[in-house]
Amino acid sequence: MVQSLRKIPLYLIGLVLLVFTGYPFIYMISTSLKDQSTFFERPFAIFTTIEWGNYADVFQMGLTRYFLNSILVSVAAVVAVMLIAALASYPLSRMNFRFNRGLFLLFISGMMLPIHATLIPIFKLSQNMGLYDSLLALLGPYIAFSLPISIFILTQFMQEIPKSLEEAAKIDGCSHFGIFWRIILPMLTPALMTVFIYNFIHLWNEFIFALVLVSSPENMTLPLGLQDFYGEFSVNVPGLMAALTLASLPMLVVYLFSQEKVVKGLTGGAVKG
Amino acid sequence: MKKISALLSVMVLMLLAACGGNQGASGNADNGDEKVIEVWHLETGEREKLFQEVAKQFEEDHEGVKIKLLQTPNDAYKQKLAVSMSGGNPPDVFQSWGGGWLKHFVDQGNVKDITENVDQDHYLEMALNNGTFDDKVYGVPLGLSLDVIFYNKVIFEKYNLEEPKTYEEFTEIIKTLKENDVTPLALTNKTKWPGAYYLMNFASRIGGPDLFESAFNREGRGFDDPAYVEAGEYIQELVKMDAFNEGFNGIPYDEGRGRQLMYSGQAAMMDMTISFLNNVREEAPQFEDKLGFFVFPTIEGGEGNDTQVGGATGPVWSVAKESKNPDLAAEFIKALTSKEAAQKFTDRTGTLAAVKDVVPEDEFVKQFYDVAQNASHIQMPYDQTLPPELAELHKDTTQALFGLSMTPEEAANKMEAKAEELLE
Amino acid sequence: METAEVTRSSETTKVVRQAKKKNMRKLVTISLFTAPALIVYLVYVVYPILSTLSYSFYSWDGTSDKTFIGLDNYVQLFHDAIFWTSLTNNAWVVMTSVFVQIPLGMIMALMLFAPIRGIRLFSSVYFLPFLMSTVAIGLLWVYMFDPINGIINQLINFLGFENVAWLSDENTALIAILLVVVWQFSPFYMILFKAAMVGIGEELYESAEIDGANSWQKFFHITLPLLMPTIVSSSILAIVGSLKAFDIFYIMTGGGPNHATELMGTYMFKQAFINFNMGYASAIAFIMFLIALVVTILIQVVDYNRKKKGAF
Repeated sequence: MVQSLRKIPLYLIGLVLLVFTGYPFIYMISTSLKDQSTFFERPFAIFTTIEWGNYADVFQMGLTRYFLNSILVSVAAVVAVMLIAALASYPLSRMNFRFNRGLFLLFISGMMLPIHATLIPIFKLSQNMGLYDSLLALLGPYIAFSLPISIFILTQFMQEIPKSLEEAAKIDGCSHFGIFWRIILPMLTPALMTVFIYNFIHLWNEFIFALVLVSSPENMTLPLGLQDFYGEFSVNVPGLMAALTLASLPMLVVYLFSQEKVVKGLTGGAVKG
Repeated sequence: MKKISALLSVMVLMLLAACGGNQGASGNADNGDEKVIEVWHLETGEREKLFQEVAKQFEEDHEGVKIKLLQTPNDAYKQKLAVSMSGGNPPDVFQSWGGGWLKHFVDQGNVKDITENVDQDHYLEMALNNGTFDDKVYGVPLGLSLDVIFYNKVIFEKYNLEEPKTYEEFTEIIKTLKENDVTPLALTNKTKWPGAYYLMNFASRIGGPDLFESAFNREGRGFDDPAYVEAGEYIQELVKMDAFNEGFNGIPYDEGRGRQLMYSGQAAMMDMTISFLNNVREEAPQFEDKLGFFVFPTIEGGEGNDTQVGGATGPVWSVAKESKNPDLAAEFIKALTSKEAAQKFTDRTGTLAAVKDVVPEDEFVKQFYDVAQNASHIQMPYDQTLPPELAELHKDTTQALFGLSMTPEEAANKMEAKAEELLE
Repeated sequence: METAEVTRSSETTKVVRQAKKKNMRKLVTISLFTAPALIVYLVYVVYPILSTLSYSFYSWDGTSDKTFIGLDNYVQLFHDAIFWTSLTNNAWVVMTSVFVQIPLGMIMALMLFAPIRGIRLFSSVYFLPFLMSTVAIGLLWVYMFDPINGIINQLINFLGFENVAWLSDENTALIAILLVVVWQFSPFYMILFKAAMVGIGEELYESAEIDGANSWQKFFHITLPLLMPTIVSSSILAIVGSLKAFDIFYIMTGGGPNHATELMGTYMFKQAFINFNMGYASAIAFIMFLIALVVTILIQVVDYNRKKKGAF
């Protein structure tokens, strides 16, 4: 009894945070279930009407192509980033060499440059490489600008892995690559999942590179496809919210999957270790 | 782990294959004998549909020509076009509003001179001027918009109000509405240009329609003219009277909150371009019966009168100098602004056409048409006419006037200082 | 004697050779591990950084010829009041991120380990803000901050206060957006902390319990010290992210009213793509880059000294 009474403040904090974090999402869903005129009559009310018309419209707009493009380019970029970043993080965090700090700074400096400053150079670059207006044009910047934060997170985690494990492996005759692949990588699952979810969400919502580097509908990603909801002087708010609600679902799935991995991967790693 | 990595590599390979296939077909390069005209615009709804119809017709009339339309919304559009111009790969045809923004690209040598390609008599002179620099035509207008004050007829009837002719009558109405807890004027000034219309209207009514021309062309008067200072004072007087809804400087226009105040009857009037009619028809059709409008009231002792109205051109179509098929592109913008297209434009979008002798069928739109016909002067918005940097300052200072965080003198002096720097 | 010397020198050469061989192998290993990242990097990151630096020495409006003006852009920037305003605002974003967002993220992560029911629900909902697109966030929060009927003002009225014109008032606009920033990014720090917390061994807590430690003591003596590396890296991420913040500010206020919420990022954007002062914008961008770099190096140095002392 005393035990459960003591938990009341915990539940209270939990609930306050729940409302704080959850309300806008609820508001988004509720808005997506209004038609334009009900939205204009009572924009602030929650769940006054439930109309699925906006969702039907979204499906009729033929966003499938954009959706597939988004999946393709986000998944490919994120996978490449996880691999490349993990590889680069290994010597940066676990080997002593002269340019270690310098190289590390070079790698993370990429997250310090505002994206808008890179647009014109990267636009010219993709043209010169003949990639302009293709999904490949997006892949390069997506990987490059996801690397800094990924390398940053991964090196921090790798530093915390005890050296003893590695030394034991060295005595067993494991090469650096073997150590990396068999020992470090499995222990890195929580960090890799963090990197995965962070980058996936960013790339899934990425707008500015896609805007500038692609100009054919067949190569467009989902954020560009949402432009149909914007007129010169008006936004179809409920329609946009319906599309955005749908667009957030894959990420919710990805998030839940990755969080499962964080817990499982860790217990799995502990058993192996 | 092995399984995952195998899966990943397969995925990457698939992606590369998929992209490799696409690459040849994309870009605005010509495919074999087919000539591609890439057209960038920012319209949705009926306007976009109309462009698609014109494009389809054009493709039928010109064998081996493909029109590739691409819509991008306002802010993103400006950025996309700016980057592609700087990067040396602009579309063949692009949309603008004419004025300072278009002139920026003209000055850079990125826009084709189409004086020879088009018949200048085809367009309304005032509208065509907005795409003409140094007597050379760089852009042709399709639409013309006006700035008026819309009001709710039911509310006006309820409190026995009549369309005001003078500023005194206007402030009387505001007082009556305030007494009855109705917000007199809806304003969404996060977007900045809705508030800027007040400054332009007041300045024109006080200093006459030539004031801006003179300041812009550096012909005697300046942006620190007493008329501009006075216009700022009028704005702040309205703000201090609580004539506008709360928190207007933080409310964006496009997302609809300001229009919502009108539709719901919480606010009685709104100064807006006639594009509002189209919004009403899409968002709250039943409100059209209550909708009336009047032109900006006159000011006693001022040099302006009520035949001088604010307006704007758009879309204005231009051809990029880099275009591989410049003459074909010019043909296409003529098709986009043909009399037939213009008639459809005005009938289906509730806006006026910038092409001569196009009378709207719609009765409400016809009223706008009459205002335009009787107008002695149409003032294009400063933010479209001025060079981009000065335009931005004009909007920023006006927003600050509304926020009471800048005095009219300060705002006028800032504008004049920048104008001296940027205008010759 | 001679022979002895010869043997010794041949031994040293052998050692040196071995060491060289080892060094070579190490170098090859390092290169192989970092090469893929380096290549992508040089092309897509280093090149734009250098371009930005070089543009910043020119007066350039986007396409027509550039004029070399040396450091004029930087000099002008130094005297630009709006730039200083935006720098101050950026400092506020940094402070809020480090002192509100990170602690909140940590509290949220701790909640996920709390002995209460419904953890899965909490874990999913707490994360929602981070997976919503900024476009939706901006639009919804503008409605929530609506000066007349928005939910925030309804709440405030309910508590007995007057309406606040949040985004319209120069005194409150920044606070309002900072709240949204905290709301949007705390979940990210939550998952960072969560990933770090699952790494802390149960046995540490168990032995502390045997010693009779209460929850607070466990938190301050076990959890917090072990989270220190994550706190440091979160701070770097928060600071760097705050210095180049752009999206939510651009959508919600566009830097207004009267530059009250102007950031270096929004100001740079306006100079580049609205005013077409690309050279000037590049100078702002490069200053943003430099500030972030210097701050990161400083934190790294401080952190290095902290680790060297052996203190947590």
